[in-house]
Formats: sequence, structure tokens, C-alpha cells
Amino acid sequence: MGAFGIDDILARHVGQEQSLIEILHDIQLRFRHLPQETLAEVAGHCGVPLSRVYSVATFYTAFSFTKKGDTVCRICMGTACHVKGAQLIREEAEKVLGIGAGRTTSDGKYSLEVVNCVGACAMAPVVIVNEAYHGKFKPVELKKLLGRGE
Amino acid sequence: MIRLTIDGRRVESRNGEYLLTLARRAGIEIPTLCHHEAVEPAGACRLCMVEITRPQWNGWSKLVTACLYPAEEGLIVKTSTERVLRTRREVLELLLARSPRAEAVRRLAAQYGILEPKYAVDQEGDNCILCDICTRVCATHVTGAISRVNRGVAKKVATPFDEASDVCVGCMACARSCPTDAIAFSQDGATRAIWGKTFEVVPCTVCGAPTVTREQARWMAQRKGVAEEDFYVCDVCKVAKTGLSCRKVMW
Repeated sequence: MGAFGIDDILARHVGQEQSLIEILHDIQLRFRHLPQETLAEVAGHCGVPLSRVYSVATFYTAFSFTKKGDTVCRICMGTACHVKGAQLIREEAEKVLGIGAGRTTSDGKYSLEVVNCVGACAMAPVVIVNEAYHGKFKPVELKKLLGRGE
Repeated sequence: MIRLTIDGRRVESRNGEYLLTLARRAGIEIPTLCHHEAVEPAGACRLCMVEITRPQWNGWSKLVTACLYPAEEGLIVKTSTERVLRTRREVLELLLARSPRAEAVRRLAAQYGILEPKYAVDQEGDNCILCDICTRVCATHVTGAISRVNRGVAKKVATPFDEASDVCVGCMACARSCPTDAIAFSQDGATRAIWGKTFEVVPCTVCGAPTVTREQARWMAQRKGVAEEDFYVCDVCKVAKTGLSCRKVMW
């Protein structure tokens, strides 16, 4: 019986190494980060050393040990988006939120991330807020989209 | 039986061994840094690149890692063509730029005529070339206390959260198998420190020489189902003890 509220997540996945990433995804989704204490439980469930879980958790950018904001704004910096001015969107986002890419605002409301190609090049430049994709994006739309001012 | 040629020499393999194994058996030297007999190959260092071709490929050939490429019928393998040597030199240039103080890298690079890499040397570069031997050895034979963490340029070998590992038994298999002496440890009398954890090395119950850590003895005892105390006798005394038993049996 675990003390970290992930028993139901573990119960949904078979206890083997193949489940590792799925489980970490579910934990990330619930806590918006991977609480350090949960990793040992995941390791036990999957029958792998803790170091293996840590290795996977640090490899994928989808996982983080610091808590992500309520709203996660991802700016695609892939080639197509880059050509279409993603850098301007990034600068605007950093100005609007007052944080650098990869950071979370101190009130815990927003996280800003830059990602490589999201596979929606026809819609370039693309901004993803939580799971919603916004294509042919203009920097001026950002404030409204993030509900900051105006 | 699989028949192929390596550098013009005919070699045979019964079970599709890797090209590196066959080449070495035939006395053909291929340099490696990430190869270790105790673990499965990983193709991490890219030094064992060889060129393979077949008659029906019409002169086309490709580079593969000898440590991971299984023997195939009729394959023609060349281990020191200009293309192979050029590739190998390039890999050594990169390794030397990354780990300029690693003795094994320097020696190998010098053999290939590289004393100063053409790439910007990472002056702070440690000796770790991420060959993965330590993590494979630990995961395969011990407790899996260390792993590769992060990705890209930030990748390194570490314990989870860089904290002293709960499961590390201080056996030193990682440090001893490291080809570039990249793993820091210290041993002062009966005290051993590695990966941020300090261990007591138990003295031999017969002669007092250092044997293994308490944690390692406990772990091996549990795994092999023998008494922990059995491991607190040094190798020399174990041999002596066996000798005495043999004498008893023979005379």
C-alpha cells in the first residue's frame, strides 16, 4: 500500500518494464510533475531498479521533477515554425509571462516550454496551450490566449 | 555453419556470433572502448566500425559496428579500409575532445596519429565517455544502482537524484570495469567511498586483509543462499583453505 496516491495508477498497468513510460505519464498528468517519492514505488511495481526509472524520467522532456503550471504553453520551434516566426512568439511569451522558456511562473499558473516539431507544420507557427493546438499563430494573439491583460 | 571472410581470411561461426568476436578469434585487432566480456554489447563507442559488403552488392558497402553485427553467410568484412580508418579517426577526435585526460582515449588516439583533436577541447571534460560499461555491469550483475541520466550534452552516469544509493553495495564493479578510470572512489584502510556512500570493508577473518563490504557480502549471501561470513575470507586464505582440504582428501 503506497502513501503517495498512485495505487490506482499502478493497478491499471501490468507490473513489467514495458509499463514504465505509461505509468510515469499518468503520474505526471495527475501531479503535473513526478514526485520524487513515487519513483521507488513505480520501480517496485515494474520490477526494475530505481535507477532505471530515474534514467527514463530524466530522458523524456514530457516528465519533470518540478511542478508545471496550471497552464502549460508550448511554442513549437521546429523548422517550419521557426521560418514562420516562432522566435517572435517565444519572445512575446517570455515578455508576457515574465519567465524564460522551461520555467514556471512563481504563482504556479503558467509554464513556458519550447518544443521541437509537433508534426503540425502546415499550421505553422504553432502554439499549444495545454492540449489545444493553435495554428497560424500571431504574437499579438498570445496575451488573449493566455488570459493575461486586454 | 556460417562462412564469411574478414580481411580476406576465411572464418566460421556456428551460431551467428558478432563480427567482433570472430575477428578477435582470428587474431584481427579491432579497437573498442565500450566492449566488456561480462555484458552484452551496446555499440556505444563506435570505434569498432568495419566495412561490410557482398559480391552481389556491386561494389556497394556499408559501415557497421562489429560488436553488434552478427555473422552472416557469405559476408565480406574489411576492418581497416581507408573508409573505416577515417571514420575511426573521426570518432577518436570527438572522444579526445570530450575527455582529453582519459588515458585509454589518448593512447588509442595517438595510435591513430591524433595528438591534438581538431575539435574544441572540453578542458573541464571528465574521463567519462558514456560507454555504458559501468551501468550495464551494475544492472546485469549487481543491483542496478547507477544509470545514464538526462539526455544530449547533459547526459551522465549517476545514482538516482545524485543521492547516495540505497542499493549500491560498494562492490566497485563499475569503477574496475571503467575503461577510462572515470569513476571516482576512495579507499582508506577499511573505509571505502563511492557514489557518495561510505562503506566498511570487512577484514579477512583469517589474515586481516580487506575482503568485501558488509553490504556486498549480505547481497551475495542472499543471492547465492550461503552464509554472509563465507565472504569475509580473502582469496588467498580461501585458496589455502581449499589446499588444506585437498591434502586431507588425498592423503
